Amino acid sequence: MDNNRNINDAISRRTFFKRTTAAGLLSALAVTGLNKPVQASELGAGELGTLIDLTKCDGCKNYATPLCVEACGKHNQERFPEPQKPLKKYWPQDKVEDWSNKRDLKSRLTPYNWTFVDHVKVQYNGAEQEVYVPRRCMHCDHPTCSKLCPFSAITKDQTGAVSIDDEICFGGAKCRDVCPWGIPQRQAGVGIYMEVAPDLAGGGVMYKCDMCVDLLHEGKKPACVSACPRGAISIGHKKDLRALAYKTAEEINGYVYGDKENGGTSTFYISAVPFEAIDAAIKGDKVSKKDTAPGRPGMPVNVENYLSTGKGMFFSTVIAPFAGAAAAGITAYRTLKGDKVKGAQIDLKDQREEKSDGTEIK
Amino acid sequence: MAQKSNNPKQSKILRQSLVNRFVHWTTALSVILLIITGLGQLPLYTRYNVTKLPGAAWLGDYFITIKLHYLGALGLIFIAAFHIVYAFARREFDIFPRKGDLKESYQIIKAMLTKGQEPASDKYLAEQRVAYLFIGFSLLLLIATGLIKTLKNVPGVDLSHSLLYWNTALHNIGTGLIVFGIIGHLAAFLLKENRPLIPGMFTGFINREYVKHRHSLWYAKLLYSGEISESSLEADENLKGDGNSRSNTQTHTSI
Repeated sequence: MDNNRNINDAISRRTFFKRTTAAGLLSALAVTGLNKPVQASELGAGELGTLIDLTKCDGCKNYATPLCVEACGKHNQERFPEPQKPLKKYWPQDKVEDWSNKRDLKSRLTPYNWTFVDHVKVQYNGAEQEVYVPRRCMHCDHPTCSKLCPFSAITKDQTGAVSIDDEICFGGAKCRDVCPWGIPQRQAGVGIYMEVAPDLAGGGVMYKCDMCVDLLHEGKKPACVSACPRGAISIGHKKDLRALAYKTAEEINGYVYGDKENGGTSTFYISAVPFEAIDAAIKGDKVSKKDTAPGRPGMPVNVENYLSTGKGMFFSTVIAPFAGAAAAGITAYRTLKGDKVKGAQIDLKDQREEKSDGTEIK
Repeated sequence: MAQKSNNPKQSKILRQSLVNRFVHWTTALSVILLIITGLGQLPLYTRYNVTKLPGAAWLGDYFITIKLHYLGALGLIFIAAFHIVYAFARREFDIFPRKGDLKESYQIIKAMLTKGQEPASDKYLAEQRVAYLFIGFSLLLLIATGLIKTLKNVPGVDLSHSLLYWNTALHNIGTGLIVFGIIGHLAAFLLKENRPLIPGMFTGFINREYVKHRHSLWYAKLLYSGEISESSLEADENLKGDGNSRSNTQTHTSI
C-alpha cells in the first residue's frame, strides 16, 4: 500500500506542478483580485481555501487584541455557549471543562475564542525571529473529526468549511482527540446531553471556527479575512490559493504548511522559516510554561491522516463477503460430495451385510 | 473435510456440525470484538476509567480500536456471507424462522415457567428461530450501515450529511439491538431446561434422551432418514433394564 501511496503522491505532485505552470496567469489574476470585494458568484461555487502569510502577520502588536481575533469573536458572539450552572463534573472523573469565566482569554482556542494568534521566537539561520501564527481550524480535505464523530455532528459543505452542529454534539471531545491539532474546544453545561443524562454521560458542546460559513454563503469573506489590516489572510478558490502559496513560498525561499498535512487542508500557511522550527518553538514554549491544557496547537509537519489507510480497509470489507461466499461454496460442495461418498459407503456396507447373511452378490 | 455423523450406538446426537460451530464461534468472536471496539468509538473507556485497568490502556486509543473494529467487521462479513451461501447451497433451513414461531415461542416459554406441556419441537425451538431472526436482522443492519461508514472513511469520499446522520443513528440502534440480542441469547441458559443444549456448540453433540423428549419432531426425522436407529438404543436400554423406554419411543416417533 505504501507503494500505491507513493505513486498517488507522485501523480498528484506531477499534476500539481503542471497545473501551477498552466495556471500561472490565473494565479496572477487571483493575487490582484484578492483584495477586492469578493463577488457572490466568485465565492459561492466550488471549494475555497485560505492563505495565511506569516511574513505579513505581525500579531497586531499595536492593538490590545489582534483584529482577526476580535472580529471572529464579534461575528460569533451570539453562538457562544451560555451554560446552565452549577456545572456537573464528568462522573466518575473529578473534572469539568468550563471556559465560561474566561471569555476574555484570547491567547488560545476556547469555546469563546475560535481563533488566536500564537507568538513564538524561532532560532533560524543563527538569528532569533519573532513569528506570529494565526491559528484556527484548518478545514481539512478529509476531516477526521467529521468522519469519526460518533453522532455525525460535524459536516463539511461544498465550500470545504467544516462545521459542528451544536444541537447534535454530545461533547465527548473525540473530534479534539482525533484532530492532529486538537482544535475543537469543549464547554460543559450546554447541549443535548443536558436533556439526556447529564449526571452520567456527555460533556457539553464542542466549538471551533466554521470559516464563517454563513458569510461564505452570502458571498462574503470570513470575518478574520476582512479584519486583517495587513492582508495576511486571504480567501479564494482553493486551487488558486494553493498555487499562489507555492509560488510565494518559492519567491521568498520559504515554506508551505497545510497542503500535505492530514492528507490536505484548505488552509495554506506561508513562512520564511521552516515549520519544523515553529512547531519546536511552540512545543518548547508550552513546556517552559507547563501548559498542558488544550487550545494551543503545534504545527507538526506532514502529520498523517489517521484514516489514510481507510481505503485499503474499506476494500477489505468489500472483499470479505465474496471470500465468505467462496469459502462456503467450496465447503458446501465438499461436504455434499462427502455425503455422497458416505452414502455410497453405506450402500457398500449394506451389501456386505447382506452378503454375510448368505445372499448371493456377485 | 469429512463431517462427523451420528453414531447410532452412541447416547449422544450430533446437533451442531463442525461448519455450524465454525460459523457460530466466528460470529461470536467477531461480534464481541466489534462491540468492545465499537463502544471504544464513543469516548467511553477513558471517561469511565476503564483504560486505567491493567492492560486496558489501548481501549482509549481510537485508532487501535477502529482498526480492530475493521478486523471484526472482516470476520463478521466473511462469516455472514459464508453462512448464507452455505445454508442455501445445502438447503439447510432448520434455523430459519417459520410461520407461527412467535406464538409457539410464547407457548414454550410459558411451559418452561409453569412446568407445563411444551409443543413438539424440530431441531430448533421456535424461540431459537425467532432469536436467530432477531440477531440476524440486527447483524445485517449493522453490516449494511457499517459498510457505509467504512465507505465514508475512505479519503476523498464525501457522502451527504443526511445519509450519514441516519446511517450513524441506525448503526447505533443496531448496536443496542445486538447487545440486547446477546443478553437474551445468554439469558436463555438461566433456564435449566435449555442447558443441555450448551455442549452442542462445543463438542457438537447433545444428549439423545434430551433430543427425544424436547426435539421430538427432529428426532423422528433423524430416525426416518436413518441417521439414528431406534433398535440400537433399545438394545442399550434393555441392557439397563428400562422397561418403559419402548412405549416412550413409540409415542415420540409417531408425532
